[in-house]
Formats: sequence, C-alpha cells, structure tokens
Amino acid sequence: MDSSLRSVAEQLLKDLQRTYSETNQIPDDLLIALRFVFGPCALQALDLVDQRSVTCVSSPSSRKAFQVLGGSGHMYTCFTSCHYCPCPAFSFSVLRRNESLTCKHLLAACLSQAMGLCQQEQVSDQQMTHILSGQTEAST
Amino acid sequence: MADILGVVFRRFASGSVTSDLPFPSSVEGNTLVIGDANISRSVLFLAAVTAATDLGLKVLFFTQTPFQSLPVSLRASVPGLKLESLKNVKFVYVKTLKELVEDVASLHELASEAASPPSLIIVDGLEQYLHGPQGGLLQDDLGPVAHVAALLHDTAAFLTQIQQNRADGQGLCRVMVSFQSECEGSRDSESPDLLLSVLDRYLQVRCTLEKMAGQNEWQVYLSGTCPSLGHQGQQWHMVLQTGGAVEFRPVIIGEQQILNQQDKSRQENERREDGK
Repeated sequence: MDSSLRSVAEQLLKDLQRTYSETNQIPDDLLIALRFVFGPCALQALDLVDQRSVTCVSSPSSRKAFQVLGGSGHMYTCFTSCHYCPCPAFSFSVLRRNESLTCKHLLAACLSQAMGLCQQEQVSDQQMTHILSGQTEAST
Repeated sequence: MADILGVVFRRFASGSVTSDLPFPSSVEGNTLVIGDANISRSVLFLAAVTAATDLGLKVLFFTQTPFQSLPVSLRASVPGLKLESLKNVKFVYVKTLKELVEDVASLHELASEAASPPSLIIVDGLEQYLHGPQGGLLQDDLGPVAHVAALLHDTAAFLTQIQQNRADGQGLCRVMVSFQSECEGSRDSESPDLLLSVLDRYLQVRCTLEKMAGQNEWQVYLSGTCPSLGHQGQQWHMVLQTGGAVEFRPVIIGEQQILNQQDKSRQENERREDGK
C-alpha cells in the first residue's frame, strides 16, 4: 500500500490523540476521516474500543504487548512497535492482498492507545514470553 | 543493519583496511539478505565478526546448521584477528520455527539483568524454518513468517529501548535475516515473492547478493526505505579469493555499466562455447 497513505494514517491518529485528550470525544470530521482511510474496519475497531477490548500487558522486564479480545471471543496478540495481528483478516487483506492498511484489532489497539482507553494488566516475564510466542492468553 | 553492513564492506575493502571506523548513525535498518545460502551465510558471519570485534557489540546468531568450519577465511581477511573477541558472538542452534520464536520471545527475560543486551540479532536461513509438511515453502499461510519477522522487529525495538535507557539515549539493536527465495518446490510459484513482500514490511533494508556468471564474484545491492541509503541505494562488488579471503569494493554507477557489459559478454561467449 502507498507509503503516503500510511503517513496520512499516522497523522490522523496523532490528530485524534490530541483532540481526544483535549475534548474527550472524537469529532465527526475525524470519524469521517477514519472511515475514509481505514475502510469498514474503522467502525468495527471503534466498537472494540467502546467495549474496552484492548489490554496492554506488561511484564517486570518492561516488555509490553497488546491483547485484543475479538468479537468471536478470541484473543489476538499485537506488538507495540510494528503492525502485526494473527487474525485471518490481517493475513488475507493486509499481507496477501495488500488491500487494507490494517485489521480491526490492530486499529482498535492504536485507537485505544491514542485515546488512553487500554486496560492494563501485569504478567510475569515467563507469561509474557508465552504471549509473544503466540502460545497463551494473558487473561485466563 | 545497513550501517553495520557498510562497516563490513569498508572493513574488508580491497586496498585499504582502516582500524578507525566511525560508529554508524542511529537509523533503523533491519536487513533482509537475499542470495545463495552459502554466500548469505558468509556475509552474516562477517557481519557478526565485525560487530563483535570492531564495534564491540553483543551478537546473537541463530542458525539451524552448526558451523563445521569457518565460512570465510578470517585469518586471510583479518590478519590481526583475536579469536577471544569472538566471545561476543553467541551461536544458538535452533531446529524448528517454534524453537526460534520461543528463543526470540524470551530475550526480554534476560535483557533487563544482562550487563549488555545483544545489539545484533542474526537469523541464518529463515526459509529453512518455513517449510510445510510437503517440503516446499509454506504456500497458503503467511501468518508464521509475519509473526516471526514482526517478533524480531519488536524484540529489536525493545532491546534498543533498554540500551538507550541505560546509555543516555545511545545504542541500537538491529536484526539481520537471510532468506533464500529459490528453493525446492517454489521456483515457479508466487509464494517466494509473497513471503518476501511480508518480510519487507518488517525488515527495511534489502541486501541482494547476485552471483556474476562463472566466477567467485557477486554484485551486492543495498536498497530499501532506510534514509541512510539515499535515493538510489548502494552497490558493492564482492570477491571470494582462492584462499578464502573476501573483499568488497564500492561500485560507481558508470563502472556498473562496464561490469554489466563485461558480464553480458562473458555469458555470450559461454553460450557460443556450449553451442559448438
């Protein structure tokens, strides 16, 4: 996907973070821009944010990751420094077809972080290793 | 990582070997090395040695195959090499993708206690970890390759943060991965290009090693989104000498055209000889 579109997406998220921190809401123009840039998964991601589905897990080593509870009840682990999600939509639409910038889980994680709406959870270093390697879920 | 490769190429350049090499600027340059498995392994090994000895960095070298002998002759290339300086390189032999992922995922457990966390993580022959049950590269599932590449990227970013927290904003951790796209079962399928496109998302620099016909010589192309490469990337010429020493030489654009013409002429001569 065009790198300029990625830059637009990054700027949009920065604008949203600034606006939300000042007004505690997302104005219509930003919602329209989100829908335009990210497509249908924008609204799905906002639903996940409303449901507080994103958890930032951290360990004593200071390692962090996001865990997103999807609509199906499945927990997806996303990384903090790059775009990756183990869900089928990311694998197909983003990686294989290069049609989408992101999936709803990743976008929900970005939005939750920008809006300060992530839940927080502490796990042990060993649990974090299992989470990062895609083996276990934090909330059991 | 493009910066460490730059140090490698200058370190082993023909004609002048300087001991006072400036530490490269802090730019994100996780690198994907593409080429024949043997020569890629040699380049990775040189990068590990250079990082450990010249730059004093801690290196983790993941590989499926233990080194039975040195891939290049270090004694010929680096006469004054002290082998104890190689103690900064830790070789980790992992057989499966699961083991590789678990080892990389667990690096954070020791990093907070270690005196100096690794600054260079090398994975030799990633394609060997991505084979499906029938032997060819994984065709339908891009998840595993994306996961391991993203995990490497994220781990390097974490270790960079650890180093910068300790050293007043200094320090970087980089990733270098080699991948041989042409292997059994994949020659005519689209899957190698798809796998490479996935890897490109997480490894910003591509180092392509292209063998020149009939000789122990390779053209080395550095390209990618890394700002330090400039708009046109970089090109180097690599030669493996008879004694096993390796040499690099930067290629200037006009000279590249001459090299291409020489290569083309050589190939035509070989075709004529075969046709007789």
